[in-house]
Amino acid sequence: MTSPATTGPRGASASNATAPPTRTPPRRKPRVPLSDRLLGMWGVLVFLFLFAPLLVIVVHSFNSGRLLVAWQGFGFEAWEAMFTKPAIGNAVWITLQTGVIAALLSTFLGTLAGLALARRAGKWTPWFSILLILVTVTPEIVDAVALLPWLVFLGADLGLGIFNDGIVRLVVGHSLFATAVVSYLVRARLVGLDERLEEASADLYAPPVRTFWRITLPLTMPAVLAGALLSFTLSLDNTVVSAFIQVSGSTPWPVYVLSAVRSGLRPEIASVSTVMLVLTLGAIALVAVVLKRSGDSTTQIVRTLSGD
Amino acid sequence: MTSQITTPRPRQDASRTPPSRKRQGKWWLPKPLLALPAWAWLLIFFVAPVGQVLWFSFGYKPGIFGTHANDVLSFDRYAEALSPTFFLTFQNTLWVGIAGTLICLIIAFPVAYWMALKAPLSRRGLLIALVMVPYWANFLVRTIGWQVILAPEGWLSHLLQGLGLTNEPLEILYTRTAVLIGVVYNYLPLMILPLFVAFDRVELPLREASKDLGANRWSTLTQVTIPLAKPGIIVGCLLVFIPLMGDYITATVLGGARGNMIGQLVASQFQTAQNWALGSAMAVLLMLIILLTVAVAALIVWVASRPFAWRRRLVIGEDS
Repeated sequence: MTSPATTGPRGASASNATAPPTRTPPRRKPRVPLSDRLLGMWGVLVFLFLFAPLLVIVVHSFNSGRLLVAWQGFGFEAWEAMFTKPAIGNAVWITLQTGVIAALLSTFLGTLAGLALARRAGKWTPWFSILLILVTVTPEIVDAVALLPWLVFLGADLGLGIFNDGIVRLVVGHSLFATAVVSYLVRARLVGLDERLEEASADLYAPPVRTFWRITLPLTMPAVLAGALLSFTLSLDNTVVSAFIQVSGSTPWPVYVLSAVRSGLRPEIASVSTVMLVLTLGAIALVAVVLKRSGDSTTQIVRTLSGD
Repeated sequence: MTSQITTPRPRQDASRTPPSRKRQGKWWLPKPLLALPAWAWLLIFFVAPVGQVLWFSFGYKPGIFGTHANDVLSFDRYAEALSPTFFLTFQNTLWVGIAGTLICLIIAFPVAYWMALKAPLSRRGLLIALVMVPYWANFLVRTIGWQVILAPEGWLSHLLQGLGLTNEPLEILYTRTAVLIGVVYNYLPLMILPLFVAFDRVELPLREASKDLGANRWSTLTQVTIPLAKPGIIVGCLLVFIPLMGDYITATVLGGARGNMIGQLVASQFQTAQNWALGSAMAVLLMLIILLTVAVAALIVWVASRPFAWRRRLVIGEDS
């Protein structure tokens, strides 16, 4: 049961959640109906459920025992192992390199594709959209088992030595889904923008290239940046495809963890994972800030970040 | 009772005017060419490999050391993949997929409703951020977190024994139940977020109008809010079901031998059994099952909504 007093501000800003600070909600009615309280309690329970495993991982990174699962005592051994074990440092380094290169590549491909989709729709558009949808819905495991023989074919049978390089393989595997994501983002951004700005630039005798650099690109920039950061985090997260196409010697961090699942999980898995979690969340927070500053509402940001 | 409510829809498309077609030709580069790099990249590294898998699936495994051969083409690998040995896993995966999606919907619905319509507006950003954090945490690592929680000597086991609910260590890890918990956890944010967006879009004036017209809160929920949020519900179910069916990690970490899923089956054909032909057939079947289930579900939703169409009619006009 919502009274007009409490619903007024929400109704006014339902479509745009960036409410100015002056519009603070007035004091709520003291009596909250039981059903709403039950909803709130359910919400809290679900948030506890969502955070339980993350909390467990962070706590267990201070486990001084030999195995991650069995808690022995409090200690910083797992955090020290991060610096003393070269295999871990190497895996993290490979992951970061791959993430940056995959992000740059996907952003380049996706931005151009998004531009073309938004500004030059033609007969090819539906086909390209279908392709992007297929890339998005194909299970990772199918991508993985498909890329493995294909990269072997390219590298060994066709003699393209570049595809025997560990990082190149990982970048190829990580770039597919990310390219689709960036295209969606850039296309959505440009569709929402007025094309007449670009036409005006052309009417004022700006050559196309200058129009691109001075008008189109700055306007698209938030989507491009968000896409790049999302691609980076997607690459950091990628486990299944990496596990199949990796070359020994350039094992990325998630694959290192996956092989540890089979051979025995040690606490340092938790400590490095905590660091990676902070890194990922930093990148995601940056995406939210970039989108917010470019004028997206909370709802739009949610849609962007959930891949909708 | 047919209620026709018409409201202008403040979506982003409002500002779009048809561009002046005649001028487009001269002022820009040939833009379709801009998509060319992405076309090429996806054709070489997505279409070609997946096409190769399709091709392999019609072949066979030539001997102990070969992985695939295609000189005789047949559908035998598909028959083999659906033979009793593997059929159980297909059945199991479909069960986990459907049960997992429904449980996600049941858990997420009240939460998204609460976040979008009941929680204080000032805290909404924080709540969304809180859903985002687990969603963007490494998939594998959060699944390992559940392994720690569900282990016989783990937290949940101690908690339940401490509360006196059970006297024995929890024997849930490496079962189908553990996989179900894992997938519900892993894909829950993908259900909450689209539902949140859907509820957020249900404009408050509509709900108030429903109340003013004498509907109680239950009727408002079932006849206004849910029908308007239906697209979000469908998107959420798709976003959960599709990746869930192909899940490999959750079943590997939490399932063990008893909680097998198709993803692992495909992987094992490529990694340990070295039978690429059979693995390819399984991968193709996996994609077909996903498409088929989605199509059947769409049909059910469509058929189920027919009898009610005449009384649940709610027209949101594009312009009033």
